[in-house]
Amino acid sequence: MSDRYSFSLTTFSPSGKLVQIEYALNAVKQGVTSIGIKATNGVVIATEKKSPSTLVDETTVEKISLITNDIGIVYSGMGPDARVLVGKARKAAQKYKRIYNENPPVNMLVKDVALIMQEYTQSGGVRPFGVSLLIAGYDSNGPSLYQVDPSGSYWPWKATAIGKNMISAKTFLEKRYTESLELEDAVHTAILTLKEGYEGQMTENTVEIGICQMEEIVDTRGNTVTVPRFNKLTPSEVKDYLANIA
Amino acid sequence: MEVLLGIQGKDFVLVASDALAITSIVAMKRNHNKTRKLNDNVLLMFSGEGGDSVQFCEFIQRNVQLNGIRRGYPLSTKAAANFTRVELAESLRSRHPYQVNLLIAGCDPDTGVPELYWMDYLASLKKLPFAVQGYGQYFCNSTMDRYYRPDMNLEEAKALMKKCINELKVRFIINFSDFVFQVVDKDGIKEIKLE
Amino acid sequence: MITFFLVLLQSGNEYNGGAVVAMVGKDCVAIASDKRFGLELLTLATDFEKIFKMNDKCYIGLAGLATDVQTLSEELKLKCDLYKLREEREITPKKFAHLVSSTLYDHRWGPYFCEPCIAGLDENNKPFICSTDLIGCINFAKDFVVCGTTARELYGICESFWEPDLGPEELFEVISQSLLNAFDRDSKSGWGAVVHIITPEKIITRHLKTRQD
Repeated sequence: MSDRYSFSLTTFSPSGKLVQIEYALNAVKQGVTSIGIKATNGVVIATEKKSPSTLVDETTVEKISLITNDIGIVYSGMGPDARVLVGKARKAAQKYKRIYNENPPVNMLVKDVALIMQEYTQSGGVRPFGVSLLIAGYDSNGPSLYQVDPSGSYWPWKATAIGKNMISAKTFLEKRYTESLELEDAVHTAILTLKEGYEGQMTENTVEIGICQMEEIVDTRGNTVTVPRFNKLTPSEVKDYLANIA
Repeated sequence: MEVLLGIQGKDFVLVASDALAITSIVAMKRNHNKTRKLNDNVLLMFSGEGGDSVQFCEFIQRNVQLNGIRRGYPLSTKAAANFTRVELAESLRSRHPYQVNLLIAGCDPDTGVPELYWMDYLASLKKLPFAVQGYGQYFCNSTMDRYYRPDMNLEEAKALMKKCINELKVRFIINFSDFVFQVVDKDGIKEIKLE
Repeated sequence: MITFFLVLLQSGNEYNGGAVVAMVGKDCVAIASDKRFGLELLTLATDFEKIFKMNDKCYIGLAGLATDVQTLSEELKLKCDLYKLREEREITPKKFAHLVSSTLYDHRWGPYFCEPCIAGLDENNKPFICSTDLIGCINFAKDFVVCGTTARELYGICESFWEPDLGPEELFEVISQSLLNAFDRDSKSGWGAVVHIITPEKIITRHLKTRQD
């Protein structure tokens, strides 16, 4: 039966709106704030880790995910929905690499993810994703930062915020952002922006930061090469940054 | 053991197909039509496995017709040839590929430009000035090489065709008592006599 | 069907005949093929080109079963055109090589009976050539690649004629002489040749008259 009839939940209201998508955006607005800043030599994404209870082992909670070696994603909104998207994004990236033997450029991965999110606004038997994503990466066009919304729309940003405090965070970023911003300063700015709307004490276990920049690695033939890499900061690295700010 | 021939002239294509339907060692029929009109100006000629070739060619014929109705103008010779190639190439990798060799002769009704395509059962498509399908290749290609000119008029093409048929009569073990001769030009397709 | 594949697995690459060769020069690459189209030893046409342009800086030559040369060239052109629309840039030869490889391997159990040679210049105009086998195993090379029924003859003559850092005109001479003298010893290839020299500024295409026998 469900094979034969399956209607989309997302239908137009008489005023021409898709209210399901607006509800999904409301879910994002209740989500924890995430920040993304593009610097001259890399990108940083950061978010808070909120635990419902002190009894939760927060060292295992991960909100920033690697999609490829050089692309990372952070979300605001519903965690389980985000994990589904991360899975799909990783699969899309591997599919690209299976064909071309190269990681997808950031804009292509963003298009793929946005396409998936759009499908969930039009297909039968599903609801839109309750998340907005920040996708940070580095490719032949340099560093880039994208936001993808539940509707499937996406934008490239120099710096942006999603989630609960996005409006005040964006105002803060507008004041702080400069074109010549370097990655180290961008990380500081990201932490400061998060701190603006932060409730309680910020520690290395309650902030998650991911950065993408060019790195020297030794390849399989033993040659040292410079390649883009996305890395998550360890709690001790985060601690150092927090100490510098205080 | 079938033979199809085609000669592209100045503003026409002259084609010939043997009219013999063979099963094993028996000549079943001596007035067998091995051609199908794809549209007013494109003729498809076939040889090969009996059932396969008729089935495939009529499938192509109907789809080319349908295409003309849908679009409101007929498919060009080139388009029809490439459509046929894609269908045959797809069938080649299926569980039961069509065993059919083809010649496609056509003439643009507006410009009068004639075209002749050769295609084998593997779906290799080639545009040629003159073409032979079947064992006739080994007898007639050399004759055509020697006497063919691209600016031939119909009478000259008929004379060349006669030479080829004669070669088959003299040297080929099969005696084709009858051939069907057709001319494709800008006015359409018509059957003719060689005499 | 089974007979069809068994026959082709043994002789698919030799049914129609053909020769393709690609060479690296100094800031340029060359790719050349013969023009014969035949059925085993019967020659049907002498204007059957086996080299296809994917974009201004990437060419592919396909030697093997003519039907698969036609099908594969059309499939690859489609994939390149869609890539260009999707990514708003031209595919690089290296990425194209992997695209060819994965396309061929997609047909692992019913392969296209052709061997591609790829030649092009990458985004920094660095020469790139490679060849693959009929199921997509890539052979990267710094000097030259060959394929088709004339492959053995080509290997020998390219080995002695090719040298590093040839300019476009010298490379043209080397690739032409290699191809012509190689396919004169192969009854399934020849009957004219076409040579493309890809340089950062332009593509030089020349058609060669050769022995017609």
